[in-house]
Amino acid sequence: MHIAHYIPLFPFLAFVINIFIGRKLKIASAYVAVAASSLSFLFSLQVLNGFKSGLGSYNLGTWLTIAGKPLDFGIIVDPLTIMMLLIVTFIGTFILIYSIGYMHDDPRFSRFFAYISLFMASMLGLVLADNFILLLIFWEGVGLCSYLLIAFWYERPAAAQAGLKAFVTTRIGDTGFLIGMMILFFACGTFHFTDLKSVTGPESLLTLAAILIFTGAMGKSAQFPLHVWLPDAMEGPTAVSALIHAATMVAAGVYLVARCFPLFVAHPMALQTVAVIGGISALMAATIATVNNDIKRVLAYSTISQLGLMMLGLGVGGLSAGTFHLMTHAFFKALLFLCAGSVIHSIGTQDIQKMGGLISKMKITGVAFCIGTLALAGVPPFAGFWSKDEILLTAWNNHHPILFGVALLTSFLTAFYMARLIFLVLFGKARSEMHAHESPATMTVPLIVLSFFAALAGFIGSPLKEVEMAGGHEGSFFIMLISTLISLSGLGLAYLLYIRRVVLLPMSSIKALHSLLVNKYYIDEIYDALLIKPCLRLCQGAFGFDTKVVDGAVNGVANVTQYCSGVLRRTQTGLIQNYLLVQVFGVVILLIWLLKI
Amino acid sequence: MIPLGYFTFLSAFLFCVGIYGALTRRNVIGILISIELILNAANINLVAFNKYLGSPDGMGQVFSLFVIAIAAAASVVGLVLIIAIYRDRKALFTDGFTLMKE
Amino acid sequence: MNEAVFYFITICTCVFALLAVTQRDIFHCALWLAMTLLSVSGIYFYLDAAFLGVVQILVYVGGIITLFVFAIKLTAHIGVKSIRQTSKQWAISAFITLILLSILFRVFAKNPWANIQLEHKSTSVVQIGQSLMANYALPFEFMSVILLAAMVGAIVIGKVNK
Repeated sequence: MHIAHYIPLFPFLAFVINIFIGRKLKIASAYVAVAASSLSFLFSLQVLNGFKSGLGSYNLGTWLTIAGKPLDFGIIVDPLTIMMLLIVTFIGTFILIYSIGYMHDDPRFSRFFAYISLFMASMLGLVLADNFILLLIFWEGVGLCSYLLIAFWYERPAAAQAGLKAFVTTRIGDTGFLIGMMILFFACGTFHFTDLKSVTGPESLLTLAAILIFTGAMGKSAQFPLHVWLPDAMEGPTAVSALIHAATMVAAGVYLVARCFPLFVAHPMALQTVAVIGGISALMAATIATVNNDIKRVLAYSTISQLGLMMLGLGVGGLSAGTFHLMTHAFFKALLFLCAGSVIHSIGTQDIQKMGGLISKMKITGVAFCIGTLALAGVPPFAGFWSKDEILLTAWNNHHPILFGVALLTSFLTAFYMARLIFLVLFGKARSEMHAHESPATMTVPLIVLSFFAALAGFIGSPLKEVEMAGGHEGSFFIMLISTLISLSGLGLAYLLYIRRVVLLPMSSIKALHSLLVNKYYIDEIYDALLIKPCLRLCQGAFGFDTKVVDGAVNGVANVTQYCSGVLRRTQTGLIQNYLLVQVFGVVILLIWLLKI
Repeated sequence: MIPLGYFTFLSAFLFCVGIYGALTRRNVIGILISIELILNAANINLVAFNKYLGSPDGMGQVFSLFVIAIAAAASVVGLVLIIAIYRDRKALFTDGFTLMKE
Repeated sequence: MNEAVFYFITICTCVFALLAVTQRDIFHCALWLAMTLLSVSGIYFYLDAAFLGVVQILVYVGGIITLFVFAIKLTAHIGVKSIRQTSKQWAISAFITLILLSILFRVFAKNPWANIQLEHKSTSVVQIGQSLMANYALPFEFMSVILLAAMVGAIVIGKVNK
């Protein structure tokens, strides 16, 4: 029987409970949230079971009628959705358990769990929606939760600004998304995903619609040029970064493209756009990550880069490759963020230049960190290797040599900067005074579970193998070899630079490049000068107009009234003879009028 | 021999003089004096019409009597009020009585 | 002869009335008022309303003027002569009054009964007395009540509160 629509309901209930009586429940609010999300996970497993025995998408009823066509509430159940459901509920549950320890001393403890539950409800609703409108509702829901959670410690101005930046930037993407949706409806009259396979309409309009829908995905998945919000979003608690900005919300963009894949495939220019943007983001973010000194920001840029890789995978026609990488990335990126959180929790700083030699003091965290790094770097037999290999394979087989080269270069840089990260943080000598201790069990147990999956998830294989594009064959040995060599050489280079301290190039020769990378290609500054400052000036102009002209007019009316009343007040002299005079005058007028007519 | 109209003219003239006085005098007693003039003007009209048009019971003159009586009552009360105001304010100029202002 | 008398009395009335409203000294005004009322009484006599004329003299001149004089003297104060007696709106009032006068003249001139000549219909005192007691007994009684009310009111207001 159909139970999929209950899955978002449990976290939503947890949100309602925690919002209203969370303060009284204190630590029990966390248990409510964990219980809800585990329940959703169990239901997702049941949905998987049901799907294997034939239960598929179903309808929940008509919502409204647009232009004569009914718009339904519906649930879509297919391998992509099931994969997303399992990822979100599974990782979400463990991150909630982790947060019990991480957010232990926070005064707004229960509200954190309420927000995370709301996020999970929106995310689950997003992946279950079977039409654009319903998806958009939940899309906005996750955007809202992201804002709330980034700015969770809103007493810090940096956090509040980061939340605003995230919201506004994704909003820009959402506007494109909405316009794209409307153009799609205008061109072919449907909002449902299942109809996209058989859509016909004017080529240019549909391409435009697809590209605009992709801008929504660009905003949510932090692709160039809308990537600027994700590094700043690291101001939020690390558990938030792990869940939302690594595993799930940013994957919503990739999910959207995968969901609309038939539309993109039918219009090659849109698909090309996806691949190119993905490639640019992947390479750009990887280069910035090589010089960054904040542990969380390195991981943020890594996320942007890996999402770019996923988009690239989808863009070269590899639906199964891209979604496979989404799945594995969710596991190891969440793992890496949780490890980073564990490190930050025990040491108190995020600057990696101040860390070093932690592996001896934080064994579990250290080992988990290494496993995550190896998975991300794409070293076999860890999970990342398999998914990245599929992307490379698809790119090669579908004749995209440039994008293949970009993906390869990105893998090299990924291995390099991740190795740099662990060498600086975990190995070597301690570079400053630190009191490090291992984190409590509520934090280490999720680490262990996730590292287990990060290591072995690759063997599950792509969940969408059945829908793979024609023209790909199972694993070419040559490609596997190349990608392994690239990863290992990246690790080796980092080892040389950071452990052996071999100086390959003097600093002065690459100073310009270094400063370009450290300043993130000055993109934030360019946006500020080009977009933000003129917008602010426009706002100030409008404000001046409002106070001087609009308020002036309103005040002017009041002043005129007051002036008139002041003039008219003079008729009330209080002298009876004046009143009598007016009366006699009135009588005279009356007489003239009545008697002459 | 004197047309009735002449008496009405006289009455009208006295009336207007009375109104002018009521509007113009600064002393309150002056206003009362003007009011007496108005009442007398009405009386003249009544008596003249009674004489020229005739009536079985002398309606005009009886009416006139009543007017005189009422005028008397009115001036009595008015004058007493004026004396009371004078006791309070020591001045009787209408320019000063602006309590009804605003 | 008849008309001459009428014109004389009329002119007297008008002149005295004008004087009564324009004098500076309020006492003079009261006296001119007395003269006006006497002239009016003369008109009553001219109109064969002898009783009314006498009543006019008795009540108005004899009673009300006396009251006025009393009130004037009771409210007199120093320096009365130098103070302006006409208020600031005398010009407008004169103008409006003149308009009123002209309207009234015009109306009265056009009236159908404006040209009725004198016919000897007079009312005797006996007739007046009979009407007062018969037809107009109710207004008569009301008059007495009003006079009583006026008296009581005057006494109450005029009381000195200590």
